[in-house]
Amino acid sequence: MAGETVIETRALSKTYRDFWGRPKVRALKALDLEIKQGEIFGLLGPNGSGKTTTIKLLLGLLFPTEGQALVFGKDATDVSKNQRIGYLPEESYLYRFLNAEETLDFYGRLFDIPHDVLKERIDSLIKTVGLERARKRQLKEYSKGMTRRIGLAQALINEPELILLDEPTSGLDPIGTREMKDMIIRLREQGKTVVMCSHLLADVQDVCDRIAILHQGELKELGRVDSLLTLADVTQIRAKRLPQPCIDEIQQVIARHQGELLTVEHPTTTLEELFLSIVRDSEARPGRRVVQEASSNS
Amino acid sequence: MVLEHQPIPFLTWLLGLPWSENSAFLESALFRFILTGFAVSVLALVVGYLIALVRNGPLKAGDITYRVIVNGIAELFRTSARRVWAIARLSIKETLRRRVLVALAIYIIILLFAGWFLQTGYREPGKLFFSFVLTATTYLVLMIALLVSAFSLPNDFKSKTIYTVVTKPVRASDIVLGRILGFTIVGTVLLAIMAVCGAAFVWRMLDHTHAIQLDSLENVVDASGKVVGKKGRTTTNMQHFHEVEIYPDGTGKAASTNEHEHQITSETRGGDTVYTLSGPEGLLRARVPYYGSLHFLDRKGVDVAKGVSVGSEWTYRSFIEGGTPAAAIWTFSNINEQTLGTDEKGAQILPLELVVRVFRTFKGNIEKGIQGVAQLRNPDNKTIKSEPWTFTAKDASINQFPWSRKLNDADNKPIDLLKDLVTEDGRVEVVVQCLDHAQYYGFAQPDCYIRLPDGSPLWNFVKAQVSIWIQMVLVISIGVTCSTLVNAPVAMMFTIAFITLGFFRQFFVDVAIGKQVGGGPLESLYRIVTQMNQTSPLPEGFGTQLISSIDIVLKMMMQSVTYILPDFRSFSTVDYVAYGYNIPMNQLAQDLIVCGTYVLGLFIIGYFLLRTREVAK
Ligand SMILES: Nc1ncnc2c1ncn2[C@@H]1O[C@H](COP(=O)(O)OP(=O)(O)OP(=O)(O)O)[C@@H](O)[C@H]1O
Ligand SMILES: [Mg+2]
Repeated sequence: MAGETVIETRALSKTYRDFWGRPKVRALKALDLEIKQGEIFGLLGPNGSGKTTTIKLLLGLLFPTEGQALVFGKDATDVSKNQRIGYLPEESYLYRFLNAEETLDFYGRLFDIPHDVLKERIDSLIKTVGLERARKRQLKEYSKGMTRRIGLAQALINEPELILLDEPTSGLDPIGTREMKDMIIRLREQGKTVVMCSHLLADVQDVCDRIAILHQGELKELGRVDSLLTLADVTQIRAKRLPQPCIDEIQQVIARHQGELLTVEHPTTTLEELFLSIVRDSEARPGRRVVQEASSNS
Repeated sequence: MVLEHQPIPFLTWLLGLPWSENSAFLESALFRFILTGFAVSVLALVVGYLIALVRNGPLKAGDITYRVIVNGIAELFRTSARRVWAIARLSIKETLRRRVLVALAIYIIILLFAGWFLQTGYREPGKLFFSFVLTATTYLVLMIALLVSAFSLPNDFKSKTIYTVVTKPVRASDIVLGRILGFTIVGTVLLAIMAVCGAAFVWRMLDHTHAIQLDSLENVVDASGKVVGKKGRTTTNMQHFHEVEIYPDGTGKAASTNEHEHQITSETRGGDTVYTLSGPEGLLRARVPYYGSLHFLDRKGVDVAKGVSVGSEWTYRSFIEGGTPAAAIWTFSNINEQTLGTDEKGAQILPLELVVRVFRTFKGNIEKGIQGVAQLRNPDNKTIKSEPWTFTAKDASINQFPWSRKLNDADNKPIDLLKDLVTEDGRVEVVVQCLDHAQYYGFAQPDCYIRLPDGSPLWNFVKAQVSIWIQMVLVISIGVTCSTLVNAPVAMMFTIAFITLGFFRQFFVDVAIGKQVGGGPLESLYRIVTQMNQTSPLPEGFGTQLISSIDIVLKMMMQSVTYILPDFRSFSTVDYVAYGYNIPMNQLAQDLIVCGTYVLGLFIIGYFLLRTREVAK
């Protein structure tokens, strides 16, 4: 699927300056990236490493100090590229006096979308992000997660080919996080390109094809997730109902082959999986008091 | 009303027509628009290049400037009505949800209170109520326009909502235009509601009637002892009463008090006569003046273009000395049957009105006016004159001369106004002289006019709203343009400064060209700090020399600013309505065009400012 180049940066650098034009922070240093169509690309890095700066440069919200950012082959400051782009900012920068419907209607009108198509799209987006019951409420009454959701809907109003997500899962509950990840994977299936940045490794690991790791504005690592995360020299053995003699025997086998046993343990599920299974249970059989049962079991 | 400037015909103003003189077009508004536009563009180019130069060095700066201009102009044509409208709708919702409608409530409360405390001043009711309502509307609307326009875009930047907007295919022009449009719509609706409430208020406050105070009625008898009517007074209502006269046929008139009169009718009911008074007449007026051209005779009787000047603040008017042959002579053209009006009895008259400014060299009896005389004269045969019409005039008074068509000449022989005094091509002269020794009358061309049939007062009120609207649109455009560059308080200060300078434009111009005593800005400051007299010369020295040289530069800068400063005072038409004069369509059209030009210019400036701004900085 990887076809044309969607994003290309050449020695992209950004130095924030103060009022007098003196350099203050070198937030990004000579970044070279190439992102192809259909990829899910993750920008990773600790706080203040330049992820948001990169995204803003790609959107033309910031002007590069040096280097160049090309989106769809055009300069990032060219407005016409925005026709094909969706952007979810770090925090939801939306008009708080509008309600969900009005918000989507306003942003939709900035594109050339026929009126009835727009109406349908607003309905389906509100359903997708799960805000049906709050569609008439002003955004100033929304919780953080709800604002994130309407922010995502806003980013998708024009069915963009390239979606830039700045920390898409922040503020979302585990279900929301899972839904967001599913949504991103669905977008890839539709052939869209997604660039997301996050410092939550689990999120990135679950959905991204390729990642770049930034640290203090410098690119530290770039590659496919599967190859980056596979530790070729580590073998993990997981089995069910193994008696102790059998375990001893396996230990001997490993020793005979000059291997080193790291741990043999009864693995636990992740917290996320547990939480999800509880919620799924309770949805399947409403009224059951899952919490009490779980505590009496332990 | 005392007009302080000369109305210019529309095409003369816009294009300098007729182009008989070589420089006519060079003084026209169109030429000035083009010139100013060109100068501002060049200036913007230079400033833009310099900023880029400081940031990026000479070569890259040239490249940046070139690209900003070429791309900027190309993108300007990508402005889309759909997006402008989307932004305008957003602005409307924003302002409404920010509760601008509170302003309406304030306005209505003001009116309610005014109805109560303005009652005591019923001497010039039309003037009082109209100027009150129109002034209140103007200030309230301009204040809202200022707040709303200066705060919205900076708020977008502060709350970063602008990020989600500019990452859509929105052009900077869409944003600037959409904002201006949206606020203008809100302001227009607000103004319309205020206008309806204001009109209702004025018309209601002015409308009143009286009853006849029956015990005051006395018979009026003629020499032969025959009863020819009744005399008396009305009851007091709205702090005034009228003397009444009732004719034998039972009708009558309540004489003019506080600028109005009432008609009286009567009927007999069960043996008693019941009198009914009409509503007030003459309070609501929209006089339509027809102007002539003016020249003077000096104190020796010699033809001159200007009379005597009596001091700097009166420069617009020329003065004629009393008790000398000095005269002000107006020539009216195109006088014919249609120009004439009719008086109450249906006879044809030439309704002439004269505004007189009086300048006294000694005080005399200040309560009494200064005597003068007016005459009609045939311009081609100056020996044919009407009988002199003497009058006494106070300062700034409007004197009425309803010349009847059948009148006497200077020798008391009957003549016909149209046949004898008006020439074949329709010209007639009005000669005005001052009679009192060593006192002066001051005149300017628009001070004498023939009063054409009155316009509709309601329509006049609407026209006044249009001029408030023009001021509102200007404030909104200035506010939005400023707020593309700076934060809200600064944008507001800047807009206020612009308007204030516009209001005192004349003073500003005078300082800039050195007409004002006390020197330039720095010198004046020096004089204030050292408490020095305005006219005494500055002490010699390096410091004062420096002050003077800096002032020269400042004055030059001020002079260039005057070219783009709107003359805010001249946009106000409150006085027209208050004094009962029709607002000339000509002036409204000129103001609308000036306003449109400003909006266009400000829009382009705002567009470039917003376009070149780094949004996420
Ligand atoms: N407007 C600004 N002015 C000055 N410095 C800034 C500005 N915005 C960001 N920076 C600096 O640039 C660097 C990179 O910031 P950036 O927002 O790109 O980090 P990030 O990787 O998105 O971090 P986070 O995970 O916290 O969102 C930081 O050191 C930050 O302080
Ligand atoms: Mg960030």
